[in-house]
Amino acid sequence: MLSRLPAAALSKQGAFAAARTASLRPATRSGSVRFASSDAASSSGFQALLNSRATLASATLLSVGSIAWYTHLYGSLPFISEVHASSPAEAGLHPAAYPWSNKGWFDSFDHASIRRGYLVYKDVCAACHSLDRIAWRNLVGVSHSADEAKALAEEVEYTDGPNDQGEMFQRPGKLSDYMPAPYPNEEAARASNGGALPPDLSLIVKARHGASDYIFSLLTGYVDPPAGVEIREGMNYNPYFPGGAISMPRVLFDGLVEYDDGLERSPWALGTPATTAQLAKDVTVFLAWAAEPEHDERKKSGIKAVILFSALTAISLYVKRFKWTVIKNRKIFYSPPTGKGH
Amino acid sequence: MAISNAIYNAVFKRNSVYVTTIFTGAFAFGIGFDTGVTKFWDSWNRGKQWKDIRHKYVEES
Amino acid sequence: MATLHAVKKYATLPPTVRTLASGVPSAPTVNLAARAVAGHGHGHGHGASARSDAPARFAGGVKLTSAGLVSKSYLTPSSTGVFQQRLLHTTVARKDAPNVPDFSDYQASSDSTNRALSYFMIGSMGVLSASVAKSTVTEFLMTMSASADVLALAKVEVELGSIPEGKNVIIKWRGKPVFIRHRTPDEIEEARQVDWKSLRDPESDEARVKKPEWLVMLGVCTHLGCVPIGEAGDYGGWFCPCHGSHYDISGRARKGPAPLNLEVPAHDFNDAEGKLVIG
Repeated sequence: MLSRLPAAALSKQGAFAAARTASLRPATRSGSVRFASSDAASSSGFQALLNSRATLASATLLSVGSIAWYTHLYGSLPFISEVHASSPAEAGLHPAAYPWSNKGWFDSFDHASIRRGYLVYKDVCAACHSLDRIAWRNLVGVSHSADEAKALAEEVEYTDGPNDQGEMFQRPGKLSDYMPAPYPNEEAARASNGGALPPDLSLIVKARHGASDYIFSLLTGYVDPPAGVEIREGMNYNPYFPGGAISMPRVLFDGLVEYDDGLERSPWALGTPATTAQLAKDVTVFLAWAAEPEHDERKKSGIKAVILFSALTAISLYVKRFKWTVIKNRKIFYSPPTGKGH
Repeated sequence: MAISNAIYNAVFKRNSVYVTTIFTGAFAFGIGFDTGVTKFWDSWNRGKQWKDIRHKYVEES
Repeated sequence: MATLHAVKKYATLPPTVRTLASGVPSAPTVNLAARAVAGHGHGHGHGASARSDAPARFAGGVKLTSAGLVSKSYLTPSSTGVFQQRLLHTTVARKDAPNVPDFSDYQASSDSTNRALSYFMIGSMGVLSASVAKSTVTEFLMTMSASADVLALAKVEVELGSIPEGKNVIIKWRGKPVFIRHRTPDEIEEARQVDWKSLRDPESDEARVKKPEWLVMLGVCTHLGCVPIGEAGDYGGWFCPCHGSHYDISGRARKGPAPLNLEVPAHDFNDAEGKLVIG
């Protein structure tokens, strides 16, 4: 077989071997036999090396590798300058990654934490921030029972109507009502907060880089401004906030909220201690839930889908092999004719 | 071999039986799989879900 | 496979042939066009024929006569490329030699197990696919049903204690008005005495109410959808101002173009809290 190949192919074969051992000696022919038409191959040592696939592959590997190495070292490509819209300080301090109890693939929200977080939201955040996309009914079966949620809703007066006389009237809230906003409109919100608009918190965890980590870091990250940083009157310094100057003051302090999971039924059990970090953690979990109420169901469906589809893939591969085996294992026999001539 | 022959004769031999088995199997599998995943989910997240903490807040009447 | 090595025998013959430049061994004195022995078992007189797998005469060859070599021709052009001496190498053919290539590694040890396994795997794929397809279809259909915020509005609770006897209350439910009438005993009596079988849309008063003193109806005229006026009309019930349909105190169509009685929505009484739940 080998001997029937054209000469060039053979010398290429030699070049392959040479390239593989990474030695630079010219490719030698694999046999001691001289080829009749050696012209095409005579200049070949170098040329074949140039043309060989191994050369191509190693050159590609070298260039891609050096680009990757360079980017790894310096984070950017040479000769391609980058323009940054902001300095690192303007982007805010990168929050640490915290071990949220709902972080893993199979982890649900900690619903006791959601319940405490709702309390923090209601007592602290709701003074300035709205939560437009969450209705009272969303709390049912998540952090409150239906009766509790109804009672919470009834504490709030909603404008409804028009009635028979065409007038709007006030009525206590129902489960189908959405959480009340602290300000009637954006202008009122800005006017009450020195021109800054407290964002709606429904999707805040999804809407910020760092998600839960960022919210927690921001709430607990208020410090005195470092030397040389000027903070305007009415603003506060928070290294995690992009730019450093935030209108929202520090709001969470130890013991600000009294948690209701102290278990009235067992007077010895203490409620969750309302430290600043605990308050921030609980409200962050609550906001994460508000941004992703489908979170638990989503992860559960994800588990099911991954199991089902990987099993289906595996079985499909088996069945494919099974169906093709007749074709792949086909043998062709040659039975010489017996010479009967017809 | 005896077992596989028995299974073959019981289930696979007649297409009607085979297809029926597949569909009832799919039905049973759907229920069983859901139950299994839910069981795993509940045990993995024990104490975190609402149904685990509900008794603290709701007096059963 | 061990047995294969044991029985293999090789014999290397001396180079009785030369190799052409193309690398093909050439044995000019071997007669490839050898004919089979004349007569092959059945006498039908066509004599010996050439073997069909021998090269045809036109494909060239060596022609020798008693005078010696006459001609030598090849249709296969000889190349100048590779020249290599080859030794004719033959392996003794053996009748009991195993099949080559050998597939025994890939063959099932037991046909019946293999068959059952194959059916089982295909069946399992069917089971999984059916299960997945079922979930997909159900989930898709679920998207067509009412969403949670609509369902939250689907029920309305009404305090019954605040409605005095002989009064109408109109509330909104799913965007439509609902008439709730607290009927007096006289009105109940009146509604039940009517010969309902002769009405346009025959329906007894007992079938229209759950508690005789409470009449709950959708306030939409069955003619063209106007909202009837309460305590009006010839029958002391409702009167539609659009086209003059009259309804009695049980909400049944009595006069005018309305074809049907006023519709009764699904409702229930919560006696413990004195509430009416519509929906």
